[in-house]
Amino acid sequence: MDGHHRRIGAHFLGWITGAFLLGVLLAAYVKIMALGGSEGGPEGQTRLVRQLLTYHGLVMVFLCVVPAIPAILGHFLLPGLLGADGLSRPGLALPGLATAGLRLYALGAIVLMLSVARGAVATGWTLSPSLALVEGGAFTLVAVGLFLVAASWFLIGVNFIVTVHHRRGAGVGFFDLPPAAWGIYLGAYQLVVAGILFAIIVLYLASARAFGTGLFSDQTDPLIWQNYFWFALRPAAVMALVPAAGVMSEVITRISRKPLAAYRTVVWSLIALLGLSFAGWGLHLVGRGQEPSLSFVFAVFNLLAVVPVALIAYSWLATLHRGAIVGGAATTLVVAFMLQAGIGVLLGLLQSNLALSSYLGETIFATAHLHYVLMGGVLTALLAGLYHWWPELIGAGAAEGGGRLAAYLYLIGLNLAFFPQIVMGLHGQPPSVPVASGLVGWQTLSQAGMALLILAVILIAVNLIAALIRSRSAPVSGR
Amino acid sequence: MAENQAENRSAAGSHTGAIGTIVLSALAGVVFLVALGLFMQGGYLASRQLEFEAKVLEAPDEISTFIVTGRDALSATAWLPVPASAHAQAVDRSFFGIYLATAFALILVVGLAVAFILQFKGRDKSEAGQAGPPNALLQGGFVLAAVILAVFVIASGFGPWLDQEIAPWGSSVITVTARQGDWDFTYPGGHAADTLHVPVGRPVQLFLSSEDTEHSLLIPALRINQAVLPGRQTQAWFTAMVADTFALLSGVPGGQDHADMRTALVVHPGPEYDAWLAAVSDIFSGRTLEQVGELLYTRLGCKACHTTDGNRLVGPSFLELFGHEFDTRQGVRITADAAYIRESILEPNVSVIAGYEPVMTPYAGRISDREIEALTAWLQTLSSLGAAPEGEG
Repeated sequence: MDGHHRRIGAHFLGWITGAFLLGVLLAAYVKIMALGGSEGGPEGQTRLVRQLLTYHGLVMVFLCVVPAIPAILGHFLLPGLLGADGLSRPGLALPGLATAGLRLYALGAIVLMLSVARGAVATGWTLSPSLALVEGGAFTLVAVGLFLVAASWFLIGVNFIVTVHHRRGAGVGFFDLPPAAWGIYLGAYQLVVAGILFAIIVLYLASARAFGTGLFSDQTDPLIWQNYFWFALRPAAVMALVPAAGVMSEVITRISRKPLAAYRTVVWSLIALLGLSFAGWGLHLVGRGQEPSLSFVFAVFNLLAVVPVALIAYSWLATLHRGAIVGGAATTLVVAFMLQAGIGVLLGLLQSNLALSSYLGETIFATAHLHYVLMGGVLTALLAGLYHWWPELIGAGAAEGGGRLAAYLYLIGLNLAFFPQIVMGLHGQPPSVPVASGLVGWQTLSQAGMALLILAVILIAVNLIAALIRSRSAPVSGR
Repeated sequence: MAENQAENRSAAGSHTGAIGTIVLSALAGVVFLVALGLFMQGGYLASRQLEFEAKVLEAPDEISTFIVTGRDALSATAWLPVPASAHAQAVDRSFFGIYLATAFALILVVGLAVAFILQFKGRDKSEAGQAGPPNALLQGGFVLAAVILAVFVIASGFGPWLDQEIAPWGSSVITVTARQGDWDFTYPGGHAADTLHVPVGRPVQLFLSSEDTEHSLLIPALRINQAVLPGRQTQAWFTAMVADTFALLSGVPGGQDHADMRTALVVHPGPEYDAWLAAVSDIFSGRTLEQVGELLYTRLGCKACHTTDGNRLVGPSFLELFGHEFDTRQGVRITADAAYIRESILEPNVSVIAGYEPVMTPYAGRISDREIEALTAWLQTLSSLGAAPEGEG
């Protein structure tokens, strides 16, 4: 069983990279269509745009961003971080569950994409029942695919929690765990909650679509679905910054070559963020018919998160201060993460202002916010982790120069692609309608950024794979 | 001892170094924000002046197909479009306050991280400081700044947001119905159009509902986005302060024809609006008598019980009714001429055609003679005997 968890992690790396490239291509296709001026054309084309955006969202969120850090870094690193690697029974506590998780994920991804062949849906990635139950397309297949994927999240989460509780090395207490282990452990709770809850409600939605029974119908108040959906998905999808912050804390102590400053404060801050991630779903419902008093309570819960965030920022700065810092791609990505996730938090604060929240909630501003958090935060943390641990994992380092160039390209592309969307959102531009004539300049800028972003992602993939191939010539330890 | 002092000095020196770095980062942050602000705000200041030149609009009586020009985008700012109401201005103030405060904090933190990385890069591992206890003052400062920021965020949005919940007394009410690809705005006089017309400077309240799926009423110039839901009524209100034409659209991807839900909010100067409303509320202007009759058939609710295709509902169908002979419930033979129709509208349950129940609401006092004439004229067009000589009516 030695190395089993790493093989699972490698499989997930392959699947998730594939899903990510597919998601990027779907978004790029929309942008290319916009370049050709076909947006706002005949009905069929706007439906095509909605279909593309729906699958872009589903692939990116369900197959990519939510499982990214746990499924790749978690499987790769968790046993090692617990001091359990190299013991008599190394690896995850439940290796069978890890295999099952991978298979469910793969099956779910395939079923989800099969639905395209049977008739693509255009419900948007939040699967609004009033569209999901009425519109054409193989929605039942989509729901079953998402059910399988959510089930795989649940299995991964359970496995990590059990592993952290039962597979720590001798004498390793919870507060001896490295920050990355804490991040992955806390993220596992998000996966368990999101997995089980989303699996159940999407199954209800599937039964409503296929048999007309269950909780939902097209007559059901849309707020009911939105409450379930965001309660399940806000922690794992939007607040995936919790495991990301854990991983970044680890990368920061390693590039500074000194222990994390205020370690316990960081751990408690991460725990607080986990708790608050379950209490903020209603912020997505402001201006959508939610009781005003509830909106106020949710905004306050969300704003409480600034305290742990400030404490973590302090700890990171104190760790970097007077460290013996190693330059490199991982260091560049640390700065990138602080800037990008920071902008994500900034946009989140703007959306916690109720007046702005109800105005901007349906615009492309919310889309930009999500992308800064998920691509700028979560995926940057994943990349930083991969660059940092790649030598340890495969016995050969990725090319540093290429890595740095890709990191810069990624950073520039990301901002060029999504900063214009902030401005467009402030001008009241919703994501899925043709761009207003005065905003075309920003739109073009955003498309250029998208192109850079794709280039950067390809460069990163090539760089890491090249390192993998180089490592094949030399014997690799620990595999 | 001497070594200790040297160590203390170097520690103190590095401490001053850190403070210097913090000050430099803060300065760099301020310079960056001012530069970005000047760049983005240039357009904003220019556009604010437009607000005071309330433009008189040559709006046609009826705008059915409205092409939204880039006008509100042209006069727009880099950050936000022209604020067309006091609410919009309050929202903008909130935005700029939070944006400046958070951007400053972000630049400070990231600037410090970059400065530390540059300063301590490439040092030998033995030179790395140990993680001592955190500097309580700095840590406390971070938390305090965060709390102040959070309080500012919630406080600055609370007023404008709460204000949106309660419309002022005496607002004129417009009913809004959304369906996929289409809006219906129904005005106090009963006129319905697919563009929203409002007077400048007077509060307008909207009652919104949807006939199919979820939509939202998004008016960027007013910073309003209100959910429009099936099976539920929501409300929004505003007092537009700029007479101009603004974009109005749905923010929710409401399925089919979503993109077509882009229409216009036309803000008229007060007298012009009154004249417009009076003109469109007069159903006889620009319509033939028959057309008015057909409009009344829908608007007065005749539709609910009388078909125009010969099918029987609660009441007899209007197809082939006028001029034909019928037996009443009392067994009297009558002709459905103008006099009978007038009586059947005003006192409908006096002589009811056999086979139907006397259940219709009397319209006496609720309909004008001219409207009865219009309905009669329209009924004639539905009958093969329509051209028959009108009795004594």
